[in-house]
Amino acid sequence: MTPARTAPPAVRLRDASIGYGDVPILAHVDLTVRAGEAVAILGSNGSGKTTLARGLLGLAQVLGGEVELLGAPVGRLRERGRVGYVPQRHTVSGAVPATVREVVAVGRLARLGLLRRLGAADRTAVGKAVAAVGLADRMEEPVASLSGGQQRRVLVARALAAQPELLIMDEPTAGVDAASQDALAGVLAHVSATGTTLLVVTHETGPLSEVLTRAVVVDHGRISYDGPLAGAGPADGAGQHDHCGPPEEPAGRYRLDQPTVTTRPAGGR
Amino acid sequence: MEILEYGFMQRALLASLMVGLVAPAVGIFLVQRRLSLLGDGLGHVALTGVAIGVLTSTAPVGAALVAAVLGAVLIELIRARGRTSGDVALAVLFYGGIAGGVVLLSLAPRGQATNLEAYLFGAITTTGTGDLAVFAAIALTVLAVVGLLGQRLYAVSDDEEYARAVGLPVLALNIVLAALVAATVVLSMRVVGLLLISALMIVPSAIAQLLARSFRQALYLACAIGLVVSVSGTTASYYTGTPSGGTIVLLAIALFLVASAGAALRDATARRRHRRRGEVHAAHPHEHGDGCGHRPVPHEDHVDYDHDGHLHAPHLTGAGVHYDEHGAQVTPTAPAAKGGAA
Repeated sequence: MTPARTAPPAVRLRDASIGYGDVPILAHVDLTVRAGEAVAILGSNGSGKTTLARGLLGLAQVLGGEVELLGAPVGRLRERGRVGYVPQRHTVSGAVPATVREVVAVGRLARLGLLRRLGAADRTAVGKAVAAVGLADRMEEPVASLSGGQQRRVLVARALAAQPELLIMDEPTAGVDAASQDALAGVLAHVSATGTTLLVVTHETGPLSEVLTRAVVVDHGRISYDGPLAGAGPADGAGQHDHCGPPEEPAGRYRLDQPTVTTRPAGGR
Repeated sequence: MEILEYGFMQRALLASLMVGLVAPAVGIFLVQRRLSLLGDGLGHVALTGVAIGVLTSTAPVGAALVAAVLGAVLIELIRARGRTSGDVALAVLFYGGIAGGVVLLSLAPRGQATNLEAYLFGAITTTGTGDLAVFAAIALTVLAVVGLLGQRLYAVSDDEEYARAVGLPVLALNIVLAALVAATVVLSMRVVGLLLISALMIVPSAIAQLLARSFRQALYLACAIGLVVSVSGTTASYYTGTPSGGTIVLLAIALFLVASAGAALRDATARRRHRRRGEVHAAHPHEHGDGCGHRPVPHEDHVDYDHDGHLHAPHLTGAGVHYDEHGAQVTPTAPAAKGGAA
């Protein structure tokens, strides 16, 4: 799991242009992320930071230059299961109920080829991933019964179940309550410590600042800053800050860490 | 039982048994991905296949199977290519299927099985022994594929983008699912008819979705419900003299309405209990927090407050913080043992 010193870069973009159809969103970008790094991809809405992540995942097209993932060109990486992905979605959305176990087990499938069934090792990995996000006692519950922040953690567990070498997350803290953000920071610290490369797309790092060490700021389809996360503060604040609306409210119970609350009796659900 | 003395009813019941079991096993994936009407479209396309089969005097079932599977593959390729033009392309394909079927059937020489109504609404009592063998083969194939690939089909139906990102063969799995739907359409054609085919795939799954806690549970439940409504609908149609397809579907919809009402009642009861608990706190309002004088009790992912023997649980709502009653008994345990990291 821990990458050898000779491990190829987790991500390498050389003069890369990425976009949809034939419209480039990112143009002529150079970026190298070494194995084991914990990187924040920062930028405002529409800057191209999400497109960068989607290009790595094969969800956006490489229109020029080179994009390499774990040493292989992005389209030709055979074992895509080595790359974990946590989408921006807030909740698990299938129409039919599914338990936490069922959703997280999907994370293992990518490693199994087309026909192999989940074995004992896979079940262990699923259990570990769910325990890592603190939902071990919710394993057999329908995901829809969990709060918004908890559902988000289920999606994190799904990615962790694959034991990825590179974990790409899209806005993992957006619309998530403070307690879940702290919990996520703890999980990522652990994942990073085992040698997994982290690539977190976000417009504010929040509690994740303790885990992420390097910042890459994307602005108008180009990289405008690349260096220590601490140095990205001013750039992040100057005109880059662009909240897209009020944070979504947690769907279920709320853990009160701060005692400063006002009581509104019978204030509806 | 009198009904079992007739060969044609024995075959009808066997056919409805297979259809009832297989249709929901495929339909649940369509419900999951909110593509409930895909089965309808494939039914339309299958009609052209039936007509070609009748015209060329070969087995209509075989021709329908080929046409429906080809149509299904075409639909998936169109869906994969683009979104906006795809919608119209699919509509044209569906209309073309039924129009082509109607016109081709009208061209067939007299004396052939050109009864359009039998294909559109089902004619279960005309099921022959040869048909049963074909149906059994289709049913076993569909169930085997669902058994083998069910988990992958679930993954793709649940979150297609994620499946694509982690390298599952999304297009191939979508084509497999569409082909399964096509095969099921042809299998169910005789029992419920091409126009009602979707109902038998979708309605049992919709009922199961209301009641189940896990996907696996939903799948088994949907198959069980499909089996029951299909066999009992066919039986009922024998005594009432009504068409089997319509009878089965009405029975399924009645069950769906009962289940919906039950689920709504369950939710309303939960809401009422929630309000009642809220009112207990409203009777003695107080802001809970650190050092408020009430002992904090960790409870799952939040903290309750021990208020004169009952637990007040705060949660955030649009109108601010709202307190629930979480049980009237407080066990005198140290407030650290329970509750995970939230």
